Amino acid sequence: MSTAATTTYSPSPAKKQQTIFKDLDWVRSDGRGFQQCRPAFLRTGATSAASGSAYAEFGNTKVIVSVFGPRESKKAMMYSDIGRLNCNISYTTFSTSIRVQGSDNKEFSAMLHKALEGAIILESFPKTTVDVFALVLESGGSDLPVIISCASLALADAGIMMYDIVSSVSVTCIGKNLIIDPTSEEEDHRDGSFLISCMPSRNEVTQLTLTGEWTTAKVHEAMELCIDACSKLGDIMRSCLKETASTLQ
Amino acid sequence: MEVDRIDGRTPNQLRPLACSRNVLHRAHGSARWSQGDSTSYKTAIVNTKERNTIILAAVYGPKAGTRKGENPEKASIEVVWKPRTGQSGKSEKECELILRRTLQSICLLTVHPNTTTSVIVQLLPCAINASCAALVDAGFPLKHLAVAVGCGLSEGGSVILDPSKAEEELKFQAYTHLVFLNSSLSVLPEGLPHVEGKPVEDGIITSVTHGAMSVNDYLCCMERAQAASAKISEFLRRSLQSQLPSDPAKAL
Amino acid sequence: MAEKATEKTGMEGEMEVDAYRRLFPLPFYERHLLDSLRPDGRPLSRSRDTSLSLGAVSSADGSALVKFGDTTMLAAIKLEVMTPSKESPDEGCLGIEFHMPPICSPIVRPGKPAEIAPVISKQLEDAILSSGLINLKELSLISGKAAWMTYVDIYCLNADGSLFDAALFAAVAAFSHLQIPLVSLSEGGRVITVSGENLDNPAKELVNKDKRNLTLHSIPFSLTCVLHKNYILADPTAEEESIMETLLTVVLDSSSQLISLYKPGGSVLAFKTTVQDCISHTRKRVKELQKILSEALSDMEID
Repeated sequence: MSTAATTTYSPSPAKKQQTIFKDLDWVRSDGRGFQQCRPAFLRTGATSAASGSAYAEFGNTKVIVSVFGPRESKKAMMYSDIGRLNCNISYTTFSTSIRVQGSDNKEFSAMLHKALEGAIILESFPKTTVDVFALVLESGGSDLPVIISCASLALADAGIMMYDIVSSVSVTCIGKNLIIDPTSEEEDHRDGSFLISCMPSRNEVTQLTLTGEWTTAKVHEAMELCIDACSKLGDIMRSCLKETASTLQ
Repeated sequence: MEVDRIDGRTPNQLRPLACSRNVLHRAHGSARWSQGDSTSYKTAIVNTKERNTIILAAVYGPKAGTRKGENPEKASIEVVWKPRTGQSGKSEKECELILRRTLQSICLLTVHPNTTTSVIVQLLPCAINASCAALVDAGFPLKHLAVAVGCGLSEGGSVILDPSKAEEELKFQAYTHLVFLNSSLSVLPEGLPHVEGKPVEDGIITSVTHGAMSVNDYLCCMERAQAASAKISEFLRRSLQSQLPSDPAKAL
Repeated sequence: MAEKATEKTGMEGEMEVDAYRRLFPLPFYERHLLDSLRPDGRPLSRSRDTSLSLGAVSSADGSALVKFGDTTMLAAIKLEVMTPSKESPDEGCLGIEFHMPPICSPIVRPGKPAEIAPVISKQLEDAILSSGLINLKELSLISGKAAWMTYVDIYCLNADGSLFDAALFAAVAAFSHLQIPLVSLSEGGRVITVSGENLDNPAKELVNKDKRNLTLHSIPFSLTCVLHKNYILADPTAEEESIMETLLTVVLDSSSQLISLYKPGGSVLAFKTTVQDCISHTRKRVKELQKILSEALSDMEID
């Protein structure tokens, strides 16, 4: 088949510049308040072939994370007292409205690694590697925080020792408004974004990224908003794990 | 039932076979297998290249196991399918897998554990015959010889054996490649996959089909191909006996 | 080998079932086969529980999620516009791709794709094209100008055997769920979708008013069997596939035509009777799968 040779395009019309975001009192397309997260659906054990796995669905963002190991390191690497963590995030070709060639997202993979590394007790599996692989089935905004939370759930499902679960939430700043858990459309119109990954019960932050223009006051506000949401998300994740454990018994 | 074939063969007639071994000097074993010959047909409308199938197979090994196929209990076989031009794509990968699985089933893999043997071939039923001859040439221990036959089903529903490239493109509703075992002359050792009361050469090692056909047509192909496999099998045996490996040390 | 055998009989009594299963997988299976029962409690010819849900991916034009036991496949179809080739101005095109992302199995790692994935892609392409499931002419929009390029992407989310069967069923189900978007021609000669408020009062004439679904001609279904000695095990799990290496896949279409009979080597030979048995198992499976598909489709119409 001559599929590779032909050039194709998606018939969806080019998006008009959304101006509603400039209004002071615009309404989010899904009817949420600015400081309201999407309902989270979490399940462990999506992939039986893996040591542990989890599926997360936040609105249109759907993610599967599998954890393999601890197992033999892929490359013949140097001896190491502590275990290694290896992360990889890939997208399906149909994850976005316009078909893309499914590929690895190196930037997100590195950020996922950084967000989880601090929470895992690497000393508990010396010389070996734990692989965390994520596949984004549908990308509906706030992909990275969803992946991070889902990955930490999968790690717990795999029985990897952690100090605490990691929950992650992002905030987007559009004009004067702070919007929590943004959709892709909202992310496209952002002036700045703020992401925090933390261990809620230890009250420790594993990762904080800030891009765009922010005033100090706004940063404080965003941080408080996120930490509060993270601890709520942490509760949901915990109850999801408890549910799985109780059904096993 | 009577179908006119471009080259004037009857539906059951195979193209003339030729096999020569030890054609490459660097390889541990090699073979050239061709089906079809430019001079033997009256109709010369079709370009000779399209009518002949020539396969070159080379075997390297057994050599130290590569990390990928390492198995402490068995020898592993690696197949590299070189397309005539360009990069190898999906269909080459499929051919590699089919060929590797087929060869695995005829080789005595336990003799050389933890080693890898590479088979490099540059087309399918012929490739199996060629690599089989090349393995013999390399002195690799085999359980059986495998014999492959191509079978085409024309639109009229009649079965044509050993279709040439030109025929494949022209008018087939479906075609089938089948691999059988060489008929054995000696007593079967134990542990062979034979079933009581059935001669081993009746069983299929490998089957690959393209295109839609009815189940009965398939079974018919199977019978006809099996009959033809006896002929090829006899030819293979004769050609192997006439040119025993010239240098036994090569096998090492 | 002899040592192993004595060791085995000595240890059998005290060894835990799980350990025995790992150390001596073949004897473990053979014991079960003697009772015509598999470790998961299935009779030899029974397939695993199969489920299908349509429309799992909202960003695609057609999608299906299929489960054969633990094997999970997600197929999604996206339509894009292409200029048809000069040789066939009235035909669209199909692009079928099977993916095995690293999440699905411990043997796949990033940068080291599974070698089986391109082979299954090719088999799916062969099965779908040679069964004549899709009439490529139906994918035409404007003769010689525009046609649909149909991208079918099948992702394996969990690999536990019979990957081809599950992938083919997912692809076929996604095709039956496919809704072709309404399109019209813009000033620039590009094809654009018409939706929402523009639908009642389209500025431009719709190109494909009455071609919203594809007519599926003969639908291919398949069944993979593992052959071991005289046993035929239908719909094998990954464990069964790895222990008993001989696989035979039969693809039949809804009118019982044979689309493919695929047996890539293996130590067990397929005799005529074996082939016939596998085909008759497949016939039964085709009926099951047809029922599951039509139930899923009728559920969708109710919603």
